[in-house]
Amino acid sequence: MNLMRQVLLMLMCLATTAGATEKVVTDYMLNCMGCHLDDGRGYALRGVPTLSGYMGNFLSVPGGREFLVQVPGSAQSDLTDAELATLLNWMLHSFSPAQIPAGFVAYSASEVGQLRHRPLVDVAGTRAALVRLIDQNHAKQNR
Amino acid sequence: MKKYWFNKFDDVTELLLRQNARTSSRRSFLSNFGKSLLGIGALTLLPVYRGGASENVDKNKDESGDPNSCDYWRNCAIDGFLCGCCGGTNTSCPPGTTPSDITWIGTCLNPTDKKNYIISYNDCCGKSTCGSCGCQRDLNNTPIYRPQTSNHLNWCSGSQAGVPYHCSLSVVLGVKD
Repeated sequence: MNLMRQVLLMLMCLATTAGATEKVVTDYMLNCMGCHLDDGRGYALRGVPTLSGYMGNFLSVPGGREFLVQVPGSAQSDLTDAELATLLNWMLHSFSPAQIPAGFVAYSASEVGQLRHRPLVDVAGTRAALVRLIDQNHAKQNR
Repeated sequence: MKKYWFNKFDDVTELLLRQNARTSSRRSFLSNFGKSLLGIGALTLLPVYRGGASENVDKNKDESGDPNSCDYWRNCAIDGFLCGCCGGTNTSCPPGTTPSDITWIGTCLNPTDKKNYIISYNDCCGKSTCGSCGCQRDLNNTPIYRPQTSNHLNWCSGSQAGVPYHCSLSVVLGVKD
């Protein structure tokens, strides 16, 4: 048991606290990670959408770019417009780079500011309609 | 070939047993053997936290205070029962419970190093309410109509274990500033 204790102590010593977390990562952790989890995989069992490998698909369908800002988790967060724009751009490039369409223009603070003040009336319905469009796009590409 | 290896195995076992017999008494061997059996049995009972947050090593070591006290610095935004008082620790669920994967995450100031840390308050689920060390500290908590930053929710309802709620953890995920 002494050996186990020593090994545990050594591991604990090795796991020293690193420096401060990057601001955008902190914003993700405090505003999104609780539900979308650390790598954006979401939690399908309880209806938490997957971001990783998917989020960028919204940019390719009409209304999808707006949806990513208007969805309550984004629009109603405590983040400033600039912080939310930075976070969304970071999430797209971190979790879903392969789905970002060519010519994508990064979100700006002013765009985010305008969009987040136009709330979605039917969040689930809007999302379902966008996902159908994404699926149709994929079906066309696979023909 | 198989027979050769069995013979070798027998030889090595015999050698070790004879060495052990020469250097220790029967009583001490039985005592140690008994301890080993108990130890192996106990090891499987140890509370091990197997959730998503366990991937993020609880890194902070420069801290003070009693993790089983509501005043402990990491508990600045906890709403529930401390798992350390319920058969687990502040970072590991008690035996028989499962940590909620989805959770709420806040920040607390560590008075020892004066840094703000990102804390994940995962709920442990699957057994009835613990009832010990109930704490209600609501730093930066928001009303339930802003659920993403409300600590009043039963996060077990979002876990694979489902309700009931048993107790809450306070896992350090990183340094905020």
